[in-house]
Amino acid sequence: MFLRLLFESFRRQKRRKTVALLAIALGMSIATAMIAVGNDIGDKINQELRSLGANLVITPIEDTLDVNIGGVNLKPASEGAFINEQDLIKIKGIFWGHNIKGYAPFLNAPQKIQTRNGEVDAELIGTYFAQPLHYGKDQFTTGVRSVNPWWKVEGAWPADYGDFPEQITPDVLAGSKLAQQAGLSVGDQIEIGGRKLRISGILNSGGEEDQAIVAPLHVAQKLLGQPNAVRRVTISALTKPEDAFARKDPDKMSPAVRDRWYCSPYANSIAYQLREALPNVRVEQIRQVEQNQGKVLSRVSGLMLLLTLAALLAAALAVSAAMAATILERRQEVGLMKSLGAGNSAVASLFLTEAGLLALTGGLIGFLAGAALAHRIGQSIFGSAIVVHPVVLAVILCAAVIVTFIGSAGAVRKAMQFDPAVVLRGDA
Amino acid sequence: MSLNRIKSQLLLRLLFKAAWVRKDRAFTALVSVAVVATIATAALTIYSDLEGKLSREFRGFGANVLVTKTSAALTAAELAEVDKIVGNRGEVLPVAYAVASLHDGGAKVVVGGADPQMLRRLNTSWSFEEWNQGSALVGARVAESVSHGGSWQISYGDAVSSISPGAVFHSGSDDDSRVYIPLEDFVRLTGIQPNTALVRVEGRPREIQAVISRLSAALPNVEVKPVRQITQAQTAVVGKTRSVVLASSAVVVVLIMLCMVATFTGSVLERRKDFAVMKALGASNRTVNVLFASEAALLALTGAIAGYILGCGVAFWIGKANFDAAILPQPMLLFPVLLGSVALALIASTAPLRLLQQIQPAGILRGE
Repeated sequence: MFLRLLFESFRRQKRRKTVALLAIALGMSIATAMIAVGNDIGDKINQELRSLGANLVITPIEDTLDVNIGGVNLKPASEGAFINEQDLIKIKGIFWGHNIKGYAPFLNAPQKIQTRNGEVDAELIGTYFAQPLHYGKDQFTTGVRSVNPWWKVEGAWPADYGDFPEQITPDVLAGSKLAQQAGLSVGDQIEIGGRKLRISGILNSGGEEDQAIVAPLHVAQKLLGQPNAVRRVTISALTKPEDAFARKDPDKMSPAVRDRWYCSPYANSIAYQLREALPNVRVEQIRQVEQNQGKVLSRVSGLMLLLTLAALLAAALAVSAAMAATILERRQEVGLMKSLGAGNSAVASLFLTEAGLLALTGGLIGFLAGAALAHRIGQSIFGSAIVVHPVVLAVILCAAVIVTFIGSAGAVRKAMQFDPAVVLRGDA
Repeated sequence: MSLNRIKSQLLLRLLFKAAWVRKDRAFTALVSVAVVATIATAALTIYSDLEGKLSREFRGFGANVLVTKTSAALTAAELAEVDKIVGNRGEVLPVAYAVASLHDGGAKVVVGGADPQMLRRLNTSWSFEEWNQGSALVGARVAESVSHGGSWQISYGDAVSSISPGAVFHSGSDDDSRVYIPLEDFVRLTGIQPNTALVRVEGRPREIQAVISRLSAALPNVEVKPVRQITQAQTAVVGKTRSVVLASSAVVVVLIMLCMVATFTGSVLERRKDFAVMKALGASNRTVNVLFASEAALLALTGAIAGYILGCGVAFWIGKANFDAAILPQPMLLFPVLLGSVALALIASTAPLRLLQQIQPAGILRGE
């Protein structure tokens, strides 16, 4: 009997049910889309903030002070200490290795450069451009092309040679200012230390590299006579914004607290793990990047969180109002059922079951529509999809049921308070 | 009493009674309009202020424009020009550098001359560890190689100066290998005048760009260049966040509007008996339309006003909670929000009437 009532109610009141279903589906697609976007915005903005460049820097502990003014390095190549290039792969092996988005080693020294117009003094910088590397079974490429995405090259990026290529003339980049001063252009040959190099592109970085020759690391090592040597490594890592806990000294923590600290991707804990992996190095946050990107990130995520909450609240209210409106109009039905002997609980359970069915169907439709909307937003703004976690479906269905129940319950109660006779006469 | 007067009194009475007798129905309609108006007001208010609020967060990155003269020192007139163009929209810090020797070890160190207070204000991301009462700011790596406490000597050529450290800083950049002393002390020691000015321009990406163009136009002999990674990141983050807020607000507002229209339409359709009684009593289609429309408009207007006030409150609170700065109401939004809500309510309430007009009142009253 109950099932029949339920079935007939849906069959005979198609229009009314459609309106309610539509309202629930719309409300729930808002909820799905906002939860998905709000949840993913942190990652997406974090990716955008990668364009600020590296946020950690590794230097040898024994190194002497840098003597560097306005891009001119006055420290001799032989002075100071170096990091062994072979050790760098261990960077990927730390606990938060997956958060290391890339690193770029640097070796630099002032050199005399022979051009066809004469000799100029300039810095020679060796680095990885997009060096393919293996760590265990993982393959990845790393270098300045991903770590310093604001570097622009007119012409072609040089290849990263595994070793100094004796057979061919190796490609290098010339900084834009140097190229202008020395009259260098793409395709020109230069000579450093008696070895010929070909300029494959003009680099515009907006920084000190604009006055330098930037060569593949292994070429620079050979030219400077420093095999395997690296002066500095910059690392781009995904980190969690720093808070008071992040700034604590791990050596003064209890083991349990220390584990929690160690297993949070703070810049400080990643720096700590890097020091463990690479002996005799100093790891510093590039504070300008690290401190500020966390702040920007938390502002954007915070804003989206609050907007999501506001939207969820609005969706809940809208769905509740829609449910209340449809049920309020059904007082006559309530009156009829009650005058035929139905108890309050029987009426309530019929209405609530209807509401529940509507909620589940509407929730499912809303979830699918919302996921599609979130996907579209991700594609059009960030060029990468926003994937909705399946757990959100469960959350949405629960939320739909709760919201429709809240909306219906008040209206059902109100409808039951009236005397059936009065309602049926149409006096209420 | 004229006929028109009676008519309008009757209309008012009908409107009032319709809302009063079915308070719950009027209330749900009111809530659904108010929700739309609230969310639309809040989203638009936040969106209109977002660029400014978010750009403020980029102040912490420090200098975003470098002004350098490679040939000689910046003249007082040039610095004054920079100051004038930047005005109160940022800070200008002239700096000079020289390589000096640490007296106790003889090691080479880069000494910078700049106002220490300004330098701290500009680089809020650096961490400072107060040392002494002195005025010099010592980079972390320099601090490791000198004895703590007291002052020490640096020499430039034949000149020797005593440095009293005030604080040690960590920056993670080349600055960690430098010592900064007040500009007057620096000039006294080296005789070098500043040839670089670190400039922080605050504002939206295009405002920063405008200042850069004005600086380059005003100072032809000087190189003016943005610190590209900062300005680029700001443009990207601010732009994309604005787009996300706009897109998601649009989705929310449109969907919630549809939701409201569905509710409104539904409740008008439920009133086909009212409609039939009116028609049976001789009301014309136009009269019924006017009656239903004015009822809807009245409800929508009340709901929209409540929603606008609530929406301004929500935006204000979100600004306070997230940006520590209030997002102020935009009075110019009031009119579009009211107009939009009323228009939507009119469409939502009169469209179903067309449907009803095709049916005979008698049929409806019989319950068909």
